[in-house]
Amino acid sequence: MFNIKLSIFSATRELEQKIDEMHDKIIESSLYFKEAFDIYLKEKRSENYRRASKKIKIIEAQADDLRRDIESRLYIQNLIPDLRADVLQMVENIDKVINEFDEVAHKFYIEQPEIPDKFQDKFRLLVKQVSECAENMAIASRAFFRDFTTVRDYSRKVYFLEHESDKTWAALKQDVFDSDMELAHKIQLSSLIGEVADVADRAEDCIDAVLIFTIKRDI
Amino acid sequence: MELSYFFFLSSGLFLGWSLGANDAANIFGTAVGSKMVRFTSIALLASVFVILGAVYGGAGTSETLGELGAVNALAGSFMVALSAALAVYLMVRVGITVSTSQAIVGAIIGWNLYAGKHTDYETLAKVVSTWVLCPLISGIIAVLLYLLLKKIIKCSSLHLLMQDQLTRIAMFVTAAIGAYALGANNIANVVGVFVKSCPFKPLYMNNTVLLNPEQVLFLLGAIAVSVGIMTYSKKAIMTVGNNLMKMSPMVALIVVLAQSAVLLLFSSTSLHAWLEASSLPTIPLVPVSSSQAVIGAILGIGLIKGGRGINWNIVRKIVVGWVTAPFMAMFICFICLFFLENVFNLTVYINE
Repeated sequence: MFNIKLSIFSATRELEQKIDEMHDKIIESSLYFKEAFDIYLKEKRSENYRRASKKIKIIEAQADDLRRDIESRLYIQNLIPDLRADVLQMVENIDKVINEFDEVAHKFYIEQPEIPDKFQDKFRLLVKQVSECAENMAIASRAFFRDFTTVRDYSRKVYFLEHESDKTWAALKQDVFDSDMELAHKIQLSSLIGEVADVADRAEDCIDAVLIFTIKRDI
Repeated sequence: MELSYFFFLSSGLFLGWSLGANDAANIFGTAVGSKMVRFTSIALLASVFVILGAVYGGAGTSETLGELGAVNALAGSFMVALSAALAVYLMVRVGITVSTSQAIVGAIIGWNLYAGKHTDYETLAKVVSTWVLCPLISGIIAVLLYLLLKKIIKCSSLHLLMQDQLTRIAMFVTAAIGAYALGANNIANVVGVFVKSCPFKPLYMNNTVLLNPEQVLFLLGAIAVSVGIMTYSKKAIMTVGNNLMKMSPMVALIVVLAQSAVLLLFSSTSLHAWLEASSLPTIPLVPVSSSQAVIGAILGIGLIKGGRGINWNIVRKIVVGWVTAPFMAMFICFICLFFLENVFNLTVYINE
């Protein structure tokens, strides 16, 4: 009986770790994204940038494996039947944010856009806000599992950062189109700025869902 | 022992079967409904504990029923149990969940009226007062447990998955306690009216009395309850579901705990003796309704949460059922006793 109990708890603990790892992956991908972008601004498509963007790709693949593992374990162990669908959606949302980081990093590698010096500060600011937004989303989402009363605090931060990133995105886009670059170049930059800002939008969507799940989680 | 005894006892066993089928939903219905536990394992556990509760803790409440009306003829006991079962059945047919405890009280009063026996109004008042007290106490206990558990969850920062596993284990433990409490408190409803005419001999093991005659009778009744749990309660659970209020597994756990606590309070002879010895007001040893306790607990939690999720139409229907069931059982018992005595020439009461 004692052994059975222990094995029940160890399986649960393993799954807890997997969910924690999934959240770690967002924070890792966000940090590598910031690092990769800094390298890009300095070196453009260099070997260093390739390595940095490869790291994000690896994290994305690991997150995919983790997501599949968590999903199957939740069903096999028949855990949290009332909240299972919500947790699965959360895990999928986290995976989508990581995918977004990977896609944007890869797009910079493929398209090699020219970013004039006058836009670099705002571009850096946008990347910083977007990354912090995703990191806070990861903290809020992690809190859902352990200390759901703090979900609200981190959600406020996510909403604030998303709003700030929207403002930076709008200002940067305006600057790009006000500049004397060629139209094709303007459109390319504008599209990339939009894609970077989309990561924050995705994080905001995740938080909207987490907040609703938190209301359901309250006994 | 006459075989006819078993024929007459069959109505009690039928009542036991229906009690098992209906009231098991109160003990572990929400746990099975929320897919937290498997029906077969929890039903088996509940069946064992219902028998233990009935055999070792069922004496207290049956004494009170005896005080209300000492049904002294076997055919009378048969009809009392049968009319209670019929009243429950008819009410369930029109979609109202009722209490077996109330039905049996109504039926006993029907027998008293027919036999011209005096109804002990003091005991009746004691029993009727529990119909209000039971859901009230259950509601208060549920609210206290709810607030306590909420605080514990907030302070412990337990992972959702670990919380889920612990809830699952707690559901098994509370189902066992709930089943024991149901057996101890409600066995009087099932075979209480047959105690006076009990023909069984004590059961010995190594020259020591294992079960006295009354306990043998309770064992038979409890087996009927267990059969009801195993054979039909799944259907009742799936039909009843979360009609009254949508519940989380944690709330479901609190509801069962509150219900078990109330059932134990109203059937614990040791608690009764201790309160009496300490000159404190005692809790009457009366078979109370597990359905009433569950509904009291759900309403208590629903109200503390702001009263939004409660389906008041169903509450109204249930309250109507609580008022109607005893009168219906009394009426059926009175009419059927007349037929039993005058058409089948059976002795339904003995003038002492």
